[in-house]
Amino acid sequence: MPVSQYLANIKDTVQSAWEGMTVTFSYLFRRPMTVQYAGPEKAREKHELVQDTLPSRYRGFLEVDLAICTACNACERACPINVIAIEIEKDPANPKLRVMTRFDIDEGKCMFCGLCVEPCPTGSIQHTREFEGTQRTLSNMVLRFVDPAKPAPPYKVAKGATAFPRAVLGSITRPLVKAWDSPPPPLPIESAEEAMAHAAKKAH
Amino acid sequence: MALDQIFITRKFGPNAEQEMILNMGPQHPSTHGVLNFIVHADGEVMEKAVPEVGYLHRSLEKIGEMVSYAGFMPYSDRVDYLAAMFANEGWALAVEKLLGLEVPPRGQYLRAISCELNRIASHLIALGSTAMDIGAVTPFPYALRERESINDLIEALCGARLTYNYHRIGGVAYDVPPDWTPLCRAWLDHFEKVLDEFDRLISTNEIFLKRLAGLAVIPAAMAIDYGLSGPNLRASGVDFDLRKAHPYGAYPDFQFKAPIGRAYAGLSRGGKVGDCYDRYYCRVLECRESATIVRQALDKLPDGDFINPKAPKKAKPPAGETQSRVESVRGEMAYYVVSDGSERAYRLRVRTGSFTAMGIIEEVSKGLMIADLVALIASLDVVAPEIDR
Ligand code: SF4
Ligand code: SF4
Repeated sequence: MPVSQYLANIKDTVQSAWEGMTVTFSYLFRRPMTVQYAGPEKAREKHELVQDTLPSRYRGFLEVDLAICTACNACERACPINVIAIEIEKDPANPKLRVMTRFDIDEGKCMFCGLCVEPCPTGSIQHTREFEGTQRTLSNMVLRFVDPAKPAPPYKVAKGATAFPRAVLGSITRPLVKAWDSPPPPLPIESAEEAMAHAAKKAH
Repeated sequence: MALDQIFITRKFGPNAEQEMILNMGPQHPSTHGVLNFIVHADGEVMEKAVPEVGYLHRSLEKIGEMVSYAGFMPYSDRVDYLAAMFANEGWALAVEKLLGLEVPPRGQYLRAISCELNRIASHLIALGSTAMDIGAVTPFPYALRERESINDLIEALCGARLTYNYHRIGGVAYDVPPDWTPLCRAWLDHFEKVLDEFDRLISTNEIFLKRLAGLAVIPAAMAIDYGLSGPNLRASGVDFDLRKAHPYGAYPDFQFKAPIGRAYAGLSRGGKVGDCYDRYYCRVLECRESATIVRQALDKLPDGDFINPKAPKKAKPPAGETQSRVESVRGEMAYYVVSDGSERAYRLRVRTGSFTAMGIIEEVSKGLMIADLVALIASLDVVAPEIDR
């Protein structure tokens, strides 16, 4: 390589490195893209909730407003991975009516795709902007919307209704999300003896 | 290659003394996901690098035969997590073909907008990580910084930042939110300036140019033989873009170029058509083209439905088979679907660009240095989940 070529190479390299440096330098004076995550609950009180900075279409934890749920099962059928479990029984007080005794959404399994939200006739099931649900046990991720002691009657859609009185988005799910270290719910069968007794009872 | 074969080459192979067998990956930071290469090397020079795939196999094709047609849409996001829109679109096109369903113009435009934004986002990662794999760390966070804005735009559009699940059979899931179009336009203005800056930062950097010029050249004939597609094929000088060759959706309405490789590194630096730098620079140019497409689509965005009102709630296409092809970020993505008239696909097959790109690595890596393998993988822009599906 002739000396002139050698020197030209050095010049090119230094020049293009300098160009790059000027770009890098300008980034020192730009607004950072990162945002400060407003820490745990306490520190956050001073700031806006992170959830509220998200766009309204954000697909976070699901929420069902039982007051306007018609128990039509459309959401359960739409979910490709059976995340939603709805059980409907006859009302013991009035056998002509039906009540929902279970409406569970397993957020540990949900992939937040939004397919269940689309067929809902009343907009009862919606994505909220809640996303912090760290749990020690997977079973704590299940959101139970119906209290088994207080079954929920289905909502009757008035003829021609287009708007439904829905609770504020997030106000139902937010209290249901457990603290991260809360104990898991009891298993249906607790001890080995009980399991044996259960099996014996079944055999009879 | 099975383990016993490795053993045999070591012991009794023709170059038993000199050949060194190295495992690169599957947890190597610069193999772009869980990829494994078995490198046969003599010192620093490779005899070949054999890719081993299958570490990210999630049997998506089988899942597609288990869930309903609409229910597969969120799964198609996972085919290629950096370019989920294209997988969405391919799947939607395939089922629409089976059903004989039309997509209203607004739906088609929204598809094009979302896809081209996604293309820019994915290319930004490819560009940044190419630079990072070569050793220039700075461009990567800068590229991700711009990608973050696209994520924000797409999040406002469809509610998710990575697994979009935006397209539906017969259209798209949501209309553009109010105030979204000006935001998108403002970002495009900003982005074109950033790309110029990106060129100054790394694309015209002498060290970077010399490092990639003339490296791992894939001639046009070879690229066609191995079935490369997308930017990898065009960088070899073959002018083939599905958006132009077999236009689908709203693409016939737009004016854009499909950049092809032209030895951009410069002949004086030893640049050749189809080298690593061409593959890199074609992506930079494609980002610009995508930006113009988004701009045109926003200008011409027609009114009307964004989803066909006749789209069935529960798709039950008649028996038959079909194929759909889209120009994805990493090349041609094709869906082959067989329907038996039920509400689930009888057979589903996905063809992806990364898989064919992996196939060519063994051939191209002959005679390269080990350090160049990283540049080759980065320039081919393979993404592990797309290889295995
Ligand atoms: S968001 Fe998707 S995965 Fe989750 S419950 Fe709804 S349909 Fe099922
Ligand atoms: S949440 Fe909506 S879709 Fe689900 S059962 Fe209730 S009304 Fe039906």
